[in-house]
Amino acid sequence: MKEELIISGRNLPHIDPHLNLWHWQISLYLFLGGLAAGILFFAALVTLLGKEKEYEGAVKFATLIPPIALVIGLFVLIIDLSHMWYAWRLYVTFRITSPMSWGAWTLMLVTPISFLWVMSYMKEYFLYWRWKEGWLHKIEWVVDWLANNRKLMAWILIPSTIILGIYTGILLSAFNARPLWNNSILGILFLTSGLSTGAAMIILFGRSHKERKLFSKIDLILIGIELFLITHMFMGMLAGSQVQLEASELLLGGQFAVTFWVFVVILGLVFPAILEIFELIGFRVPVYVPALLVLMGGVVFRFVMIDAGQLTRFLY
Amino acid sequence: MKFWQKNTRHIYWNPYFGGFMLGLLLIATFYITGRGVGATGASKSAVITTVEAVAPTFASESSFYTKYYDEEKNPMKNWLVFETLGILAGALLSGALSGRVRFRIQHPPKMTPKRRLILAGLGGILFGLGSQIARGCTSGAALSGSSVLSLGGFITMFSIFGTAYLFAYFFRKLWI
Repeated sequence: MKEELIISGRNLPHIDPHLNLWHWQISLYLFLGGLAAGILFFAALVTLLGKEKEYEGAVKFATLIPPIALVIGLFVLIIDLSHMWYAWRLYVTFRITSPMSWGAWTLMLVTPISFLWVMSYMKEYFLYWRWKEGWLHKIEWVVDWLANNRKLMAWILIPSTIILGIYTGILLSAFNARPLWNNSILGILFLTSGLSTGAAMIILFGRSHKERKLFSKIDLILIGIELFLITHMFMGMLAGSQVQLEASELLLGGQFAVTFWVFVVILGLVFPAILEIFELIGFRVPVYVPALLVLMGGVVFRFVMIDAGQLTRFLY
Repeated sequence: MKFWQKNTRHIYWNPYFGGFMLGLLLIATFYITGRGVGATGASKSAVITTVEAVAPTFASESSFYTKYYDEEKNPMKNWLVFETLGILAGALLSGALSGRVRFRIQHPPKMTPKRRLILAGLGGILFGLGSQIARGCTSGAALSGSSVLSLGGFITMFSIFGTAYLFAYFFRKLWI
């Protein structure tokens, strides 16, 4: 006799009536991951172009952020797991079709390099330490070796930070059951947003007027691209099926509309862009105002996308 | 030299022109939002939110706070809060256009910055109290009220500026 087990009805806590599993930890992690990717990307780019001396804020000072950001991000990501002691299992396999696997392995590459990068500048942070004596002398060769091989680290960082930035978006867009996330723009949108917040952070750490001006320009271009991508995301959804229409409705007039339009689009993108344009023309605007607004917009954007995305679904 | 590179730090609009523009702004506000402007509403919302978070039982029993107490609705989701955010953003833009944006404490020559801050704080507290007694401030009651010919608006307007005119005599030594 063949036995058949039939399950009827749905009793899925935290999944019905809508997904309620991902909280502030995920939003914060996605922001910090994107920020770290952005800063390291620009630091690597400046290094490969051989402009370290001109853009010290980017290579030497803003790069203090990524190790901290990644450690905090990964820590909150792990405490969010229901079975946190099994997190290591991500590292016993590699699945080419799983964004989470890509992310786990990319982080395994980027996080140590972010630490080594900071270490390679140790001698320049602590100019007055006696590097020829005691225990410092024992690690001096490591620091020297890292400083000499910074270009190698930069070559590894360029592709891996791009993967890291895109992965934060692909992680969401791979959820084919969440219509708000399930679009092809999200990966590149999160990458752009990550690069933009990275550029904003470099502005805050900028050591010269020239550096702040360059990264203001870069940030301005990235904001433009981001607005373009957001428009396209909505165009795609509005041309989609009913579930996509209802998903976009959350941001276009529903529960998250005010947060999204006021704090992400207006105060996080358009307004800092106007301030940056003013500054580039020659008006005096304190550079940290647009930079902080861009960072704020980046945080709110992640929170809105995570919270709104979980409310959208195919079943009604 | 372009006009914005000149030192225009202290060039402000003519106050009468400013007042005229404020009137136009008010018309635009009525047209767009269907109601007048307000300035103290945002801080009031912030206070209500804080009280509701810190002492919910007090908020639900107090005769003042019950009017705004609603567990479902967040008091910060008030259009005045967003209007105030807009004021901050617009003021920053306007200041940047005149090259006036920087951190400083403006104070009369004879007054120390510390004294100026303390007096400004005291004045702000008095104004906050007054605006709650009058159910509106210069913008919410006087400006928006008188523009719709509300008698209360006119009384508020004349009381605020009238008493200011009277008391200015006694405090003039602080400024000159």
